[in-house]
Amino acid sequence: MNPSALRSPWPWFSALALALLGVFVVYPLLYIFTASFFGDGGSGWVQLMHDGRSLAAIGNTLVLACVVTLCSTLIGVPLAYVSARFRFRGKLLITLLPLITLVIPEVVTAQTWLMILGNNGVITRFLKGHGIFLPSFYGWFGLITSMSFIYYTYVYIGTVAAIGKFDAQLEEAAQSLGTAPVRSRFHVMLPVIRPAILASALLVFTMVVGNFAISTILGHNVPLLSVAIYQAAVAEGASNLTMQSTLASTSVLIVMGLLFVNRRIIAGGRYEIVQGRGAKPQPLKGGQGVLVSAAAGVVVAISLLPLVTIAVGAFTVSRGPVMRWGEWTLDNVARVFITAPGPLVNSILYAGIATLISVAFSTLVSYLVVKKPNLVTPLIDYVSAIPLALSGTVLGVGLLASFNDGFLSLTGTSTIIVLAYVIRRMPFGMRNGQAILHNIPNSIEEASISLGSPPFRTFLRVVLPMMLPAVASAAILTWTTTVSELSASLLVYSGGRETLPIQIFRLIDSGLMAYASAYGLVLVAVILLPVVIATTVFKVDLFGSK
Amino acid sequence: MGIAISNLSVRYGAETVISGLSLDIPQGCFFTLLGPSGCGKTTLLRTIAGFAPASGGQIRFGGRDVTELPPHKRAIGMVFQDYALFPDKTVADNVAYGLRARGEKGGGVERKVKAALERVGLGHLLSRHPAALSGGQRQRVALARALVIKPTVLLMDEPLSNLDAKLRVQIRETIIELQREANITTVFVTHDQEEALSMSDLIGVMNKGKVEQLGTPQQIYATPRTGYVADFVGAANRTEVAVRPTAPGRVEVDVAGSRLLATDALEGPAEHGLLVLRPEDLKISSAPVAGLQSLPATIRGRQYLGARTSYSVECAGGLVLNAEMHGAGHDAFLPGAAVHLGFDPAAARVIRS
Ligand SMILES: Nc1ncnc2c1ncn2[C@@H]1O[C@H](COP(=O)(O)OP(=O)(O)O)[C@@H](O)[C@H]1O
Ligand SMILES: [Mg+2]
Repeated sequence: MNPSALRSPWPWFSALALALLGVFVVYPLLYIFTASFFGDGGSGWVQLMHDGRSLAAIGNTLVLACVVTLCSTLIGVPLAYVSARFRFRGKLLITLLPLITLVIPEVVTAQTWLMILGNNGVITRFLKGHGIFLPSFYGWFGLITSMSFIYYTYVYIGTVAAIGKFDAQLEEAAQSLGTAPVRSRFHVMLPVIRPAILASALLVFTMVVGNFAISTILGHNVPLLSVAIYQAAVAEGASNLTMQSTLASTSVLIVMGLLFVNRRIIAGGRYEIVQGRGAKPQPLKGGQGVLVSAAAGVVVAISLLPLVTIAVGAFTVSRGPVMRWGEWTLDNVARVFITAPGPLVNSILYAGIATLISVAFSTLVSYLVVKKPNLVTPLIDYVSAIPLALSGTVLGVGLLASFNDGFLSLTGTSTIIVLAYVIRRMPFGMRNGQAILHNIPNSIEEASISLGSPPFRTFLRVVLPMMLPAVASAAILTWTTTVSELSASLLVYSGGRETLPIQIFRLIDSGLMAYASAYGLVLVAVILLPVVIATTVFKVDLFGSK
Repeated sequence: MGIAISNLSVRYGAETVISGLSLDIPQGCFFTLLGPSGCGKTTLLRTIAGFAPASGGQIRFGGRDVTELPPHKRAIGMVFQDYALFPDKTVADNVAYGLRARGEKGGGVERKVKAALERVGLGHLLSRHPAALSGGQRQRVALARALVIKPTVLLMDEPLSNLDAKLRVQIRETIIELQREANITTVFVTHDQEEALSMSDLIGVMNKGKVEQLGTPQQIYATPRTGYVADFVGAANRTEVAVRPTAPGRVEVDVAGSRLLATDALEGPAEHGLLVLRPEDLKISSAPVAGLQSLPATIRGRQYLGARTSYSVECAGGLVLNAEMHGAGHDAFLPGAAVHLGFDPAAARVIRS
């Protein structure tokens, strides 16, 4: 690098970014990896081989991930197909699906299933009253059902986007060559949308592997990986650093492997999606239409169930774990706002700060990576993607172990919660930021500099305003995801620093579903409010820039 | 302020794009860098601007060494191929941007902006956004924005290549007028020879990171010093010939079995050279024309182009030349016809090969 390059601010920003990433991303990860090899009682990997319960947890997690991925795909792909290609009653509801996944935190979904089918669930009790005893919802049945009905939306969103881009002319061309419609569809369209389906299926797989909220609430006697990591980390008295590190490393390795496969699928250039006009949706009439509407309606209704349930539950009288359905009260909600408002305040505070930091950091750093490349920027780009491979639980364990004492002691502070939020969100912020910046030509900046504006002021005055709409939508997505974050913050929080999801989790654990519903309802409102304001008042295009 | 470049080198990693380039552009000169894509024009321009760091040599603006000066301190005006207007700012704010960056405020800024935009015929579009302008209007705004700050040099990188043919001619005139008015030293980059010939005071023809010939448009066109320049600026027939000196300024060459006279542009003694013949200097006739040297030839191909006809003509020994005829009956010769190809010794130049 020549001396004049060092006079500009960018190399210094790059160095700073790399240093921060090194301390807060690489160091915790390395800490876990090393701790898995050199702990008390020898290598964690040797211990793991003799630990039946941990091995079972790994096996169960993989099995669960396979089954849920399969179910999600079986629900998501047909739903995407009918909604991309046909018009029918209630289609509008389906297009709201992305919003639903966005606003309902997993912990609330898990809670809802319990309120309906759990030991004290509405349906369970109702049927019990008639002498019918349902099998327990805890365990495999509950895990698969609840996860499939959350994660199919990712398959749906990915597939709809791919079908939307698929050129109907290709299909028509195949038909004109003499293939029957149904066969032409399979032969021509499937190969084109397959990468999108595979990519979203892999995403589902990784999310199941990393899932904590549902796994721990509904898992019960089924040992699962994230739960095992969590338990090893918070075990009363002696938390087992070696074992928690080994299990966390296992999770990282699984997810990294999947990301690698995903990259291979996307990198295979032959899967380039054909751009062109999408096919015009055809109206579905008669029996077919009713059937499709009904099927789609059921899926959407199940997705919406949590909202309805917590809305009712929040205002229902309860006696301990028993809900008195039909008797109404404002006590639960009063508790959230008046008696115990801590979690609400904490959530807004932490998620607000994390959103600001995350957006500022990812905007500046993606600017460096895209517009001011130097020797270290590719490394920055690479390291900032690492959190993709860390489930919330793994990240929590890493932060907890790394910053407990030593050169930077953060245990018991609010900082570590904010830090966890920022790190979890970073890869998405970076991807978003880079996508925007690739659309801003370099000449714009050079024009500003040539007019006498120094580089950093050019960034503030010219680049930033151009990025603003996309940055705003990124900020909102960051807010919605951080405010509902549970798995990492649950590990690093300390007494008095409970957030809404943590509080809900603890209330569910104690079986206090009415209170949990009230906190859940407020949580959804907190998530939803900026989304509504942004899309209606500021006309931010939330889903376009994703 | 003039621009003086001495022994300049620019490298991208291991690749040397410009090496040992020296160039003097006098104050107020409209200087054009002409060359094919990839020859380093943009790189040279960006080095003058300060965006691409020089790895060796010196750049001076009016005697002041600016080689190490960051671009925002060089007081340049720049116009880009893609206009590079700030999309979120109005036309007026785009033009005011450079003035504000210089700390100017208030009514003075407004007045200057309005005057600058009126000068390019856009005084009525102050509050528009760039997206609502046509390509020509955008480039006019870009010009106003670059000139309103009264830069010491004006740098333009293919500013016309995104415009359609008619607009290109219009904006060309606007640029020339503004440049003359401000009497500002200008470096204009283009790969279009017509643009270069019609606009410039001085042209530098670039080849592989070097200025191969520097001269006025007339010098570049009429007396190219290398085959590359001859070929790139206007079309040229080029053929390798053996050379014998005769009278001063004249040489004798062997072409297609005939012994002919040509102008000596070899710049020193040589046994071989490159004979350069412009197609429009070759006259086709059915019989030899008095006062012109002539070669017997056969018409091989013919392209009727309206105002002229382009012929490909084969001489003895298989030498194929391109000839262009203008005026009445320019399309009279048909393929297969036996003709004579006449030319003046002054139009046949022999240069170093
Ligand atoms: N940023 C860069 N990094 C590496 N090589 C470059 C860069 N910009 C230009 N080059 C190389 O420098 C040479 C000259 O490019 P350029 O100056 O853009 O040519 P022109 O403007 O005449 O088309 C080309 O071979 C090009 O590949
Ligand atoms: Mg160029």
